[in-house]
Amino acid sequence: MTQKKPQNIEPTASAIDQAVSQSPSSEHTEQAKAQLAQTRPTNHLNGLKTMVEIDDLSFSYDMGKTNTLQNITLDIPEKQVTAFIGPSGCGKSTLIRCLNRMNDLVETSRITSGQIRIMDQNIHSKSVSPIELRKQVGMVFQKYNPFPKSIYDNVAYGPRIQGIKKKSLLDAAVEKSLRGAALWDEVKDRLKDSALGLSGGQQQRLCIARTIAVRPKVILMDEPCSALDPIATAKVEELILELRQDFTIVIVTHSMQQASRISDQTAFFYLGELIEYNTTEHIFTNPSIKQTEDYISGRFG
Amino acid sequence: MAKHKSSNNPFCKKQLGKPVSEIFQYGFFSFATYCIMLCALVIFGKIIIEGAPVIWRKGADFITQKPQTLAVVEAVEAEGIEIPTDNFDNILSSNDDDALPLKNVEEFKKSFAYKRFLLMPGSIIGEGYLKSIEQQNKGFFLIYTERDTKSSAGFSVASDKEITLMTDQFEKLKSLIPKLIPAGVTTREVTLSDYKVTIAKGDYALSKTAHDALAPTDLIFQMRQGFPDDEPDKICQSIIPKTQTITVDANTYFAAFDEDENGTLPIQSQEDLPKTTIFHQFTLAKGVYYAPLSAIAILANQGITTQHNLVRGSIVVNLAEPAELTLPVSNYEQLIAANPGIKLEDVTDFEQKVDYTRFTLAKDAEIRIDTEDLDAITRANEESGKFKTNSENTHSYSGGGILGPIVGTGLLVIICMVVALFTGIGAATFLNEYARKGAFTKSLRLAMLNLAGVPSIVFGLFGLGLFVMLAPSLTSTPHIESKLSLPLAPVASTPQLRVVEEKKIHMETRELSTSTVVAAARSNSQEYFHDGWTYLSFEGWGTCMLAGGFTLAIMVLPVIITSCEESLRAVPMGFREASLALGASKWQSIRTAVLPYALPGILTASVLGITRVAGETAPIMFTAAAAERSDLPWEAVQSTGFAAFVEFLQQSVQALPYHIYTVAGRIPQSEYTEPMQYGSVLVFMLIVMALAGISIWLRIHFRNKIKW
Repeated sequence: MTQKKPQNIEPTASAIDQAVSQSPSSEHTEQAKAQLAQTRPTNHLNGLKTMVEIDDLSFSYDMGKTNTLQNITLDIPEKQVTAFIGPSGCGKSTLIRCLNRMNDLVETSRITSGQIRIMDQNIHSKSVSPIELRKQVGMVFQKYNPFPKSIYDNVAYGPRIQGIKKKSLLDAAVEKSLRGAALWDEVKDRLKDSALGLSGGQQQRLCIARTIAVRPKVILMDEPCSALDPIATAKVEELILELRQDFTIVIVTHSMQQASRISDQTAFFYLGELIEYNTTEHIFTNPSIKQTEDYISGRFG
Repeated sequence: MAKHKSSNNPFCKKQLGKPVSEIFQYGFFSFATYCIMLCALVIFGKIIIEGAPVIWRKGADFITQKPQTLAVVEAVEAEGIEIPTDNFDNILSSNDDDALPLKNVEEFKKSFAYKRFLLMPGSIIGEGYLKSIEQQNKGFFLIYTERDTKSSAGFSVASDKEITLMTDQFEKLKSLIPKLIPAGVTTREVTLSDYKVTIAKGDYALSKTAHDALAPTDLIFQMRQGFPDDEPDKICQSIIPKTQTITVDANTYFAAFDEDENGTLPIQSQEDLPKTTIFHQFTLAKGVYYAPLSAIAILANQGITTQHNLVRGSIVVNLAEPAELTLPVSNYEQLIAANPGIKLEDVTDFEQKVDYTRFTLAKDAEIRIDTEDLDAITRANEESGKFKTNSENTHSYSGGGILGPIVGTGLLVIICMVVALFTGIGAATFLNEYARKGAFTKSLRLAMLNLAGVPSIVFGLFGLGLFVMLAPSLTSTPHIESKLSLPLAPVASTPQLRVVEEKKIHMETRELSTSTVVAAARSNSQEYFHDGWTYLSFEGWGTCMLAGGFTLAIMVLPVIITSCEESLRAVPMGFREASLALGASKWQSIRTAVLPYALPGILTASVLGITRVAGETAPIMFTAAAAERSDLPWEAVQSTGFAAFVEFLQQSVQALPYHIYTVAGRIPQSEYTEPMQYGSVLVFMLIVMALAGISIWLRIHFRNKIKW
């Protein structure tokens, strides 16, 4: 099936119908959809404390002409790994960038409906400073992007812009973050070397260390392993599982195996809509919707 | 269209068009290219062939010397010409190696009678005498702060001199120094008119003579620029702010209003007031006299000269301890005779041996010689009369020396780049990081790019209008022609009232509180200029390096902004995102994660900008450049502290491109000045090429170093 860019999508719910109608057993899907519509798609999180609540969120990149995200409702539990999967252009990266308001950088972007609450605070309300929000909601990008400075300076960047100047405090923060990112043993002897001299996997872990140096509550990861080889990927995944104890992690990934390996919850997006959200085990073993099953079994996408 | 031969080769050459046209195209394009190369070769070759020998002969002096003007002297064949060896070496270096037909060159020691003495603190000494002491004693340089305007000074009368004075001056002289007037004074009566003259408001050309005659009168006027010391005959522009009527005596009248002379004022209407003047005539015998400076000033009009400054007074020597000095006996005697206030101790005689060279000029020869050396050789052979010349011609800048222009260009470039980088980086950051991407920014950017196409002379005129004549400056005495002057704050030091009484301005220093000045200023604004205030006066900065630097900055801004924007755009978006995601504010992220990585590109571009700025002539022509200047900018600064910095920036400077224009186009051409043109051009070209080289090196260096 050809992938379409979100801008080309008609902003109607018929997108699913279109996709579904191509699959053979449309009756079964209709049923599941109806079932899904009755309940908040996050009911499976019984008992878990939610960190991020997304309510009926619609988002547009072009002043509201076309919606890139449509009526997303999703709760993300605290200190768990939540994975967003779906084909390219389905809006999962857009959604993750909404969570720390990185989309503010795009001048024409608009929230057209709904809201996002993090720690029970609507993050788009006027009293919220995006700067303070981003200190609490850190982000790791798809392409590792350390600054062309020393390893030390990269990790100390966050504390420094927050005004910490004392050498001992910075040293402690750098060591703690690098240990937290499982990079300390590899780089402790060359902290003053350029970060660009590290291997790709090390650079990505450095970026994670840089993010956790600010002590955020939530870490957003936008396909953190897509530019890495399998061995480096394994190390980063190991790290994510460790970080899970201290941080709430939201990860966007293209690799279904990765999602199944590291995440506790998985959300499947398609063409700007949330198709299914459940525990990872449930999604991968017994998806309620035919489309999800098709995607994870590799029949399309 | 082409027929394929039955061949198995699918890549065989297809026949496209006729071979003749192909050859023609090839020929035309290659011909054009070779023509350009040939032109470049001829030009560069000419510059190098003509310029290199000059630089080779003059060596580093060509660059490290101030501009030097040589005289070309046709000397008569003679034996045994004597000259101090230092000067002899100078002459040798000024002339081509084999140009002088010298024979029997021998060095010897010549002894002179000298006096050694201690100059005591508190001595009062004429400015001219101090200069000659400084010349004779290398390393002694007196920085003085105090002058004595009341005490007596000496003047010498070489031979009996007839003095004619008008009654008022005669009486004044008589009251000041009765001894001076001998018994035989004759009087004669002459009928001379005073003149009541009305001068219309306006701009006039004024000569130095007319200026000096008008200065003591009641006329209110102001010069647009000062009279340069090296061109006493120059006519400068003056402003008369309003129509005025003054009464002047005949001398002033003929000096300042004579229609036949250049640089005098036109008269709107005049009225003759005839009156009888009595002249007193007497003879001043040969000898040395002492008189108060004001008395000497009266005599100065009669052709009596002194080495004391009559307006500013003699210098009070403020040495911490006595200075041991030497002078030739003749100079010493003059010093003693003319300075009654001098205190010397431990005067001893001694002989000083000076290295001299004696040579024979085998035949009549053309010698290029610096004016100082010419003085020295003339003096050394005054008695023997062996050094004789048939003709002396001076040729401006024929001695080379382009330190002044190099320094000036350097200063202009520094000011320009400081201004251009500050505003350029600011504007580029705004356009690239802050401004919304809309029609407005697009048109702003377009307008700025179009600025790059404006002819540079237009920038020159723009700079003239804005920076030279309109830009605001802080001053306590606003210029008459100031477009607008706003009083800002009272000056902290003792306020001065500039009192306007009967249309005449004079300065009055009084112990006044600031509030008095303010009150006086408010109540009597018609009558008082309150000089106790600092004004923000829109009168421009004058022709100076500051104005030139700003003009060049405006000119180079489009280039700087464009390249800054490119550098900023080249910084990956990821850096900005990463920085923002770590909780940085917009400015923090620009400052720490964008600008540092854009700087190498900005630096490279600005070095290229420097090469362009350094070569511009038109923008600095009206705003900064001086055709000739004998000293370096910092040598002329007299004030201290911040005022010195301002004074430094408010000087006009020589600049290399303008110097080349001057040497090549504005001074009389001769075979002596021509090589210097090529020398200057070659040096200039090397400097520009070096800058371009640095730029290329920077680009390669940063390209290798920075990868992301």
